[in-house]
Order: sequence, then C-alpha cells, then structure tokens
Amino acid sequence: MSARIQSAAGILGLALLVLWAGEDLYRSSLLVTMLTYALIALGMYVPFVLAGSLSLSYSAYAATGGYAVAIGSAHAGWPLWLGMLVAPPVAAAIAVVLGAATIRLSGFYLGAVTLLFAEAFIQLLGNLDVTGGPSGIIGLPLLSFGGWEPSPFQVVLMATVLTGLLAFALDRLRRSPWGVVVRASREVPIAVDTAGVSVSLLNLVALGVGAAIASLGGALFTAYVGAVNPETFSVNVIFLAVFMPLIGGIGSPWGAVLGAVIVVDLTLNVDALSSSGTLLVSLSVLVILVLFPRGVLGFAGTLGRAGTALLTKRGVRA
Amino acid sequence: MTNPQLWIAVVENGCFFALLGLAFYFNLTGAGFFNFAIGAIAMASAFVGSWLVTEHGLSRPLAGLVGVLGAILIGAVMELAVVRPVQARGEGELSALVAVGASLFAIIQLCGLFLGHEARPGQPVWTTPPFSLGSARIGSTVVPLVAITAVLFTAAYLALQHTRLGRLTRAIGNDTEAARVLGLPINTARLLSFAAAGLIAALAGITFAGRSGVSPDNALHWTITGFLALVIGGTGTVWAPLLGGALLALANVFIPFYFGGDVLAYGLVVVALLFFAFRPEGVFAPRVRV
Repeated sequence: MSARIQSAAGILGLALLVLWAGEDLYRSSLLVTMLTYALIALGMYVPFVLAGSLSLSYSAYAATGGYAVAIGSAHAGWPLWLGMLVAPPVAAAIAVVLGAATIRLSGFYLGAVTLLFAEAFIQLLGNLDVTGGPSGIIGLPLLSFGGWEPSPFQVVLMATVLTGLLAFALDRLRRSPWGVVVRASREVPIAVDTAGVSVSLLNLVALGVGAAIASLGGALFTAYVGAVNPETFSVNVIFLAVFMPLIGGIGSPWGAVLGAVIVVDLTLNVDALSSSGTLLVSLSVLVILVLFPRGVLGFAGTLGRAGTALLTKRGVRA
Repeated sequence: MTNPQLWIAVVENGCFFALLGLAFYFNLTGAGFFNFAIGAIAMASAFVGSWLVTEHGLSRPLAGLVGVLGAILIGAVMELAVVRPVQARGEGELSALVAVGASLFAIIQLCGLFLGHEARPGQPVWTTPPFSLGSARIGSTVVPLVAITAVLFTAAYLALQHTRLGRLTRAIGNDTEAARVLGLPINTARLLSFAAAGLIAALAGITFAGRSGVSPDNALHWTITGFLALVIGGTGTVWAPLLGGALLALANVFIPFYFGGDVLAYGLVVVALLFFAFRPEGVFAPRVRV
C-alpha cells in the first residue's frame, strides 16, 4: 500500500470516527481515549520504529503533558491550552536528559532502565504537593480560547485534526532525508557515524520529538476529563503504546493510529470481550510478530497487491 | 545496620533475587537472550499453585509440581512458538524483546482473567517451623530459600562446567553462529535453557511467595529485579547473580529502612544507570583469552 493511499485512508478513517462519535458523549470520550493513545503511540513511533531505540518511559512523558495542563491551571491560573503548549518542550527536555544519561545503552538495558525511570517518575508525581499527591488534581475548568468554550464535539474534532496532522507530518518526516538517515542509523549505525552523522545526536532528537508528541496525548486527555492522577499513566500505558504500532503496522505512522483505535476498541468498547480485551491485545501482538510482522496495514497491503496481481493476470488472459 | 532482623530480610530477598538472576543467566548462556518473561513465569507458578491449594484443595507438593511443570512448559513454548520464529527472521533483538514483553503481559492477563487480580497467600512446598536465632526471628521460608538457592546454584555450576550438555550450552551462548557452523544442536540447547530457566523461576516464585503472597502485579517487578541481579552481578560466572542478588537485597532492605520506601524507586534508577553506563558487564565479567 503506497504512502499516499495510507494517508488518504488514515484521514478518511479519522473523519469517519468523528462522524461516528458525533454529539454522543460516551463515543466522544472513547474517541478522545483513542486519540490519546494514538498520540502516545505516534510519539513512541519516532524513537522505537524509526531509530530502533526502545525507550519505555512514555507513561512519564504522557504524564508530563497531563500534569503540565493540570498544574498550570490549578496553581498558576493558566488556560488549559497554555499548559498544552508548555508540555511538549518540558517532556522533550526530560527525554533528552534521560537519553543523554542512557546514551550508551540499547536493547534490554535501555528498556529496563527507562522502565524503572517511568515507575520512579510516576511515584514522584504521587508524592509531591504540587501534583496533588496520590489523588492528583481534579476539577479543572473547561478548555477555552479567549472566552470561546468549544463544545465536546469541537474538542474531539480539534484533537482528531491534531492527531491526523501529526501522523501525516511523521509520515513525511519518515520519508524525508532526515528520516532516511534515522532509519539507516537503526540498521547500520557504524556506517552512519562514519559518514559524519552523529547517531547519538539523532537518537536524542528522536527521543525529544517522540516525548513531545506523547506529552500532547497526556495533555489532551487531562484537558478533556478535567482531572489527572498518577494512576492515569500506569505501566500498562507503556506496554500498550509499544504494541499499538506493531498491531497497526510499523511501515507507517498511520499504523500507530490504527493500532490505537483497535486496542482502545478491544479493551474498552467491545462488551463481549470485557476484561479479556487486554489479554486479546497481547496475544494479538504475539500472533502478529510471528505471522504478520508488518501489522494490519502491511497485511492489507499484501492482500491489495495479491488482488491487483490477480486482476491483472485475468485482464491479460481476457 | 546492626539490626539482625534486617539482615535476615537481606538473606531472604537476596536468595530470591539471585534465583531470578540465575534463571536469566541460563537463558542468556544458552540462547544469548534476556528472557523478560522470567518474573511472569515465577509469578504464574506461585499464583496457580496457590489457587490449586486454596480453591481446589490440592496438596502443596502436588500444586507445586503443577506449577513447576507449567513453568517448564511455558519456557519451552516461548522458545518454540515465540522467540525462535521472531529471531529467525533476523530483525534484531528489538522484535524479540517486544515478543517477550507481550508474553509477559499475556501471562499476567491470563492469570488475572482466570484466577483474579487479587493477591493470594503463597503455598510453598517446604517450610520449617519459625525459630529464633539470637534476637532475630527466622521465618518459615528462610531456610528453604537458602537451601534451594544453594542446591540450584551448585547444580547449575556443575551442570554448566562439568557436563557435556553444559559445555555445549556455553559454547552456543558464546557464539551461536560458530556453533551453527560446527553443526552443534543449537535448537535443543536453546530449548533446554528456556525450560531450565522456567524451572528455576518456578522454584523461586513458589518458595518466596510463602513469605508475602503473590499477585499478577508482582510479575513485572520480579522481572526487573532478576534482570538487575544479573546485570549487577555480571555474566562471567554462574555465581555472579548470587552477588548481584545480595547487593540488590541490601539496597532493597536498607534504603527503605533509612530513607523511606519512596526513595527505593529513585535509588534503583540510579543504581541501574550507574551499572549500565559504567559497568554493563557487571561485577564478574566474562574472561576472554586473546
């Protein structure tokens, strides 16, 4: 499936989701959860899929976004949108500092230390007065822009546009010269280093960009529900964020968005699955890793190519 | 640090962490792979064993046997059905790491879905009556943990150093490609290393759960703890996880005692960062003849 078709299908899919949610508050909150996870998964896509660096601190970056919105509003009287603007640079700074401290690590070592960092960070949030301790911060005002308070539907629409734009931008970035170099650094780091491009610096930039995007997910969720606490960003968020691009397909950032939609639907929306949704997700990841390593999008592309080949063959015979 | 009861806790925790580290060591030696599902296998063995005893009235030895056999089976299935096909595609360690992460997550969810997420009392197969040693009280699981640790480490040392299968396992772990070229039975050795790791993890989990119970939430923490015990101890000798486990247990007992429980989480990050950054090969590094 070409990148253009994937982008077009992704935009169409998001538009259909907005229409499906409409003014229904349950569906809107479900869609916001999907978009939150999509943003976290898109954030993880940059270092994980592009740069091949498995940092597992993404619950911490999402929490940074959520708490930037909540603390800014509750303690400084900021409008929520200002917190959403502050969150990405703060999360990026944290990611770069952590990335610099773990610059020599990769694979299992990087995964373990970043997971420990995420757990410690969430624990820290539960211990500080400014974050409201274990109960967090509740009762945030509604999102407003200079006196204009968008309706829940308009908030969902804006969040959908933001997610779509970021997925589109990341897809362009993936195919840009910078994206090509980052992907090359994942496969042949020594060659890239030899060519005069610092792989360490590339990794730091990828980590910073990813953390900034993930923080928007936390900020969006907090702004929509008007509350945040440390439990919002548990370790499960990290696992699900890793699984989403794999389920949707690692060949394109749209796969991360598709993965988020599938995972949230399975775990929260399908009544028949109830509590087994998360189990189904993890088993799906195993099946996909073993049998369909390109995910749903990759499988759809394979089917599409097979169908095209079949039609072409018939056309030639006719 | 003069409180003897704290040192008993260090011994107990240290043995458990060391056993988890030993399970990691077996996987690393035999397959060149960190099996991040070790904590989940240990948890599942103890959790299922407890469920069989409390809900179905099975005797502890029988429930323990089911837990151990189940762990061996999980280890073998993971190698055959998950790790081997993913690694065979040659996509590097990242895909395999995600695969074992998904396995860990799946085991946690399976236990939670079918047996509940609430903590269960541990049902160790072997306990001793509590007794006092000076001013310290020795709980019912301390002696079994120390004994099992001593037996498993000694057995692991003898098996890896003095048997044909052990030498074969080490050869494959050191250089899989060279072993493949030489025609050594790589797949068999890998399968055995995963099964052995499952066995060790199960014995550790079942015995340690007798102290403070077990719940699916323990799995990830136990995985990280075992991994840290191996990384701190190093991979140069089979005894290395014992030292790593002991050092980790010292931190786990004394940091919360002197600085509060919250500081432990921050302390672990610092310890991991320092070791990974400056001594990733651990205290005991493999000696290479050049």
